[in-house]
Amino acid sequence: MIKIEKLSKTYGQGDGQVVALEPLDQTINEGEFVSIIGPSGCGKSTLLRLIANLEAPTSGRVTLETAGLKRPVGFVFQDAVLLPWKSVADNIRFPLDTSGVPRKLADEKVKELVELVGLKGFEKSLPKQLSGGMRQRAAIARALADDPPILLMDEPFSAVDLLTRETLNDELSRIWQKTGKTILLVTHSVEEAAYLGSRVMVMSPRPGRLKVTYEVDLPLPRGECTKRDPKFLDLVSELRTLMREMTS
Amino acid sequence: MKGRIKPVLEYSGALLVLVAAWWYVSGPMGMPAYLLPSPASVGSLLWDMILSGKLWPHLAFTVQNILIGLIVGTVFGVLLAYMFFKTPSLSDYLEGPLVVIQTAPKIAIAPLIIIWFGLGLTAKIVLIFSLVFFPVFAGALAGFRSIDSRLHDLALLMNLSRTQRFLRIDLPAALPGIFVGIKIGAIQALVGAILAEWMSGSDGLGYLMTFATATYKTPLLFGAVLMTAFLGLAMHAILNEIEARYLAWSTPDEQ
Repeated sequence: MIKIEKLSKTYGQGDGQVVALEPLDQTINEGEFVSIIGPSGCGKSTLLRLIANLEAPTSGRVTLETAGLKRPVGFVFQDAVLLPWKSVADNIRFPLDTSGVPRKLADEKVKELVELVGLKGFEKSLPKQLSGGMRQRAAIARALADDPPILLMDEPFSAVDLLTRETLNDELSRIWQKTGKTILLVTHSVEEAAYLGSRVMVMSPRPGRLKVTYEVDLPLPRGECTKRDPKFLDLVSELRTLMREMTS
Repeated sequence: MKGRIKPVLEYSGALLVLVAAWWYVSGPMGMPAYLLPSPASVGSLLWDMILSGKLWPHLAFTVQNILIGLIVGTVFGVLLAYMFFKTPSLSDYLEGPLVVIQTAPKIAIAPLIIIWFGLGLTAKIVLIFSLVFFPVFAGALAGFRSIDSRLHDLALLMNLSRTQRFLRIDLPAALPGIFVGIKIGAIQALVGAILAEWMSGSDGLGYLMTFATATYKTPLLFGAVLMTAFLGLAMHAILNEIEARYLAWSTPDEQ
C-alpha cells in the first residue's frame, strides 16, 4: 500500500518559487494499477519522484508499506537509464549483483527477463548499439529484476514506436495481473491510461494538483476487446475532453 | 583492421625518412662521429647491449619507476578527485590553491625533492608522482562531474552502499575522464623518470644519457635517447590499446 499524505513540493525560494505539486492525499492499495495523466507541468513526474524518494517533499509524506525491503520500488525513467559500459544482460542483472544474489540464480532470472521483454539475441550488446525502444525494454527488465512490489514508470513508452508500445502495454498488463504488483504509470496517452489502469488520476498544471480520479470499470484481462468496449471509449473521450480543457 | 594498418604504415614511413636523413648526414655528408654517430654504429651498439644483457637493467629500472609513479599518482589523483566531487565545500576552498601549485613547473622543484627525499628511489618516485598526480586528478574530477545525473538517481533507487556506488557507478562512469588524465600523466611520468635519473643514481636510461655525455660516448647517448623514444611510443600504444578495449562504450559507434 502507498499512503500519500498532504504531499507537496515547491522548487526554488522567494520570488522564484514554483509550486510543482500542491498538497495531495491519496491511498493506493496493493495490487492497483494507477495511471496518472495530465498536461506538462502538472507535477506527475514530481509525484513519482517523491514516491520513489528520489526527492524530498516540501511537506507531507509518503508511506510505503513494504516491510523494510531494501528496494521496495522499481523505477523506469522516461528514457532508459542504462549503464553504458555494461551489456544488456549485465544491466538487467545489476540490481541482483548489487544485492548479493548468487550469480547462477541471477543469470537464470536475467534469461527469463530477456525473453519477457523480447531482447533475446541482444544480451551481449552494449546500450549504444540498441535502438531507443530496445534500451527501454532493457530498463523495464532491470526494474523487474529484483521483483519489487511497487513499480513506478515515468512515461516509459514515449520513445517507443507505436506497435512496440502496444506490445509492451499488453506485456505490462500481463505482468501486473500475474505478479499483483502495485504499478503507477505516468503517461501522456489517454488511451494507454484507460487501457492499463484500474484507476486513472488526472492532474492539472500550474500549480500541479490532483484534479479528479476515475475508477476504471473494465474487465480483466484487457485486450483487443477492451479497445472496442463502449465503456472504454466513453472513458477515453471523457479523459480527452478533460485534457483539452486544461491545455486550452 | 584497416584503420590500424594505415597509421603503422605512416609511422614507419616517417621513421624511414628520418633514418635515411640521419644516415646521409652522418655518412656521405661527413659529420664527425663524435657529433653524430651513424645509424649503423648506434644500432650495433644497442644490439650488443641487448645481447650482453647490459641494457635490460637500465630499461627495467626506468619502466619500474614509471609504473610505480603512474599507479600511485593515479590512485591518489582519483581518490582526491572523488573527495572533491563528494564534498563540494572541500573543492571550493582547495581547488584554487591546487591550480596555482600546478602552474609551478615541477621540473623546477626537482632539486628540492632530492633535498627532501634523498638520492635514492623515493625521490624518483615522488618526482614522477608529482607529475602524474595533477593531470589524473583534473581528468578524474572532470569525469566525476560529468556523470549523467540520472545515474545518481539510479544509485539512489538501488540503495547502493558508498563502496558499491563508487566501484559500480561513479568510477566506471568517470573512467573516460580518468583515462585522459592517465595518458597525459604517462608522458609526464617518462619525462620525470628520465629527469630523476639525470640527477642521481647509476641506473636507468636517464643515467645512461648522463654517463654517455660525460664520457663522450655519443653512440651510447643516441642509443639511450632512441630507447627512451621507443619507450614513450610503447606506452602510448599500450594505453591506446587499453582504451580501445575497455572504453569503447564511451565513443559513438562508427557504423
